[in-house]
Amino acid sequence: MGRSARTVFVVGCALLWLIPLYLLVVNALIPADAYPGEPSWLPEHFALWDNLRTAWDEAAIGSSFVNSLIYAVVCGAAGVVVAAMAAFAVVVLPVPRPAAWFWLIYSGTVFPLQIFLAPLFGLYADTNLYDSRLGLMLIYAAWAVPFAFFLIRNQMTTMPPEVTEAALLDGASFRRLFWQIHVPLLLPGLGAAFIFQFTAVWNDLLFGITLSRSPEVQPVMAALTTLNTAYGSSGPPVILAGALIVSVPTLLVFLVFRGLFLRGITTNAS
Amino acid sequence: MSAFTTGRPRRRIPVRTPAGGARHNGRQSRKMGGPLAAFPWLLPALALVGVLLVYPFFRSVYGSLFEDNGFSRSFVGLDNYSRLAEDPIFSRSLLNTLMWVAGTLLLPVLLGLLIAVATYRMRFGGVAQLLVVLPYAISGAATAVLWNFMLTTDGAVNQMLRAFGLDGLTHSWLLEWPHNTLAMIVASTWQGTGLNVVLFVIGLRAIPRETVEAASLDGASGWRMFLYVTLPQLRAVTVVVVGMAIVNSLKAFDMIWILTKGGPSRSSETLALTMYRETFRLFHVGYGSAIAVVLTVIVVASAWLYLRRQMPDSARN
Repeated sequence: MGRSARTVFVVGCALLWLIPLYLLVVNALIPADAYPGEPSWLPEHFALWDNLRTAWDEAAIGSSFVNSLIYAVVCGAAGVVVAAMAAFAVVVLPVPRPAAWFWLIYSGTVFPLQIFLAPLFGLYADTNLYDSRLGLMLIYAAWAVPFAFFLIRNQMTTMPPEVTEAALLDGASFRRLFWQIHVPLLLPGLGAAFIFQFTAVWNDLLFGITLSRSPEVQPVMAALTTLNTAYGSSGPPVILAGALIVSVPTLLVFLVFRGLFLRGITTNAS
Repeated sequence: MSAFTTGRPRRRIPVRTPAGGARHNGRQSRKMGGPLAAFPWLLPALALVGVLLVYPFFRSVYGSLFEDNGFSRSFVGLDNYSRLAEDPIFSRSLLNTLMWVAGTLLLPVLLGLLIAVATYRMRFGGVAQLLVVLPYAISGAATAVLWNFMLTTDGAVNQMLRAFGLDGLTHSWLLEWPHNTLAMIVASTWQGTGLNVVLFVIGLRAIPRETVEAASLDGASGWRMFLYVTLPQLRAVTVVVVGMAIVNSLKAFDMIWILTKGGPSRSSETLALTMYRETFRLFHVGYGSAIAVVLTVIVVASAWLYLRRQMPDSARN
């Protein structure tokens, strides 16, 4: 590639990627009732706060935002702890047939979500978990386990066994061994797994629209979809404001924990 | 390759675990409390995964053998599967799925590679990279909402085309097949390319400087350098990127659900969408399960075949 061709290519790509983002912001600034019916290219108004408030309150993005925050934080953390315990059992403790347990737990990541949906729906309907926060939290936690387990197990196998042996000789219990030796030493890995799970749960749409219905339970992506379907009533500026709101947490996580975030997704690659 | 195998032991010697040591050592085995002492640690994971993932998986496979409308069901054996073969919606949805696989292989992988190579060590290259990566950090649903705004009939894309005097190219992007599927592939390229850029840049950083220097001493530059030095060194990353693209494109759902709901008249459905509509909108639960099984077989088989062929030996075991 010649030098100038390269510059043209890069600038072109940057523009192509910038334009939708730019339009997102500019059009989220227009007052909802002044939207001209066509995308606007120049920022002439500043009604961002009004649009954000409309999306947050009236379109109920706010309550589902809180729901999703709970789901993503609690289920991400629970999934990582449960996965770390299982990894600890498979790698460190004398459990029989560790490979079989590994594959049993890891198998959960291989399949497309669609294969779980219909039976889960039936299961939830039978046990009154349908359209409940607890129900969504259970599936999000379970969904987080296999991959977090895979990440953490791989990390645990790199820990020198001498550490564990020394602690055992000193009379440490399993619990102490886990919480005071393995968890602190694996903290960056656990963090990466958590951030990966947080993002995955936050971005989930499929479980949200399948297993819940009411705004008090729905996760934020499901609420955004509802808002988008009611396009005519609220108008593009409010919908775009909603899209801005739901992007904030993952953008923040990405910008603040860039290293951990990239580790989380790049390990996904293996 | 290290970035993709974080945590995997770099040494190729068998890893000695304390548990392994304890098994050969009676005194310590007693200290570790026998084999059953470890089960409480495994139990929460087994319960969650077993009840909410493994059981539904087998239940889906079993359920695909029934005619089931959500209220009553009867055993029909493999009828659901033979119905699939004749269903025009299934074949359209299979075609769309193939378009998604081809499209998301070609565009985001190729663009990701080109952008990574072009911006690498370029002045302000980091800015361009960040712009391309930003959409990856926002969710699929938000991206879909944004692109809905771009692609509607009086949306930004048509507006731009008209501004450049290309009126002939305007379309009702989301209302005609195959334009809707193609437009959505472009939208998901916009979102997904960033991840590939990141992965390729990580790969580029791992290329030893000596290799590049030696090649340029031998007179390689520009295109030849790219083709004979850079590209082969990026092989490991490319394997991963392509593998992920295959699996993810087979599962494409969010974008399509929000932009077209698979319509109009189910023309833009992929297998993931068809399964969802049959099961939860039309209450053909057994039929939907059969589609889910087919999708699963395709995903698992293609991932397995691809990885088996492409993985370097060291990563295979």
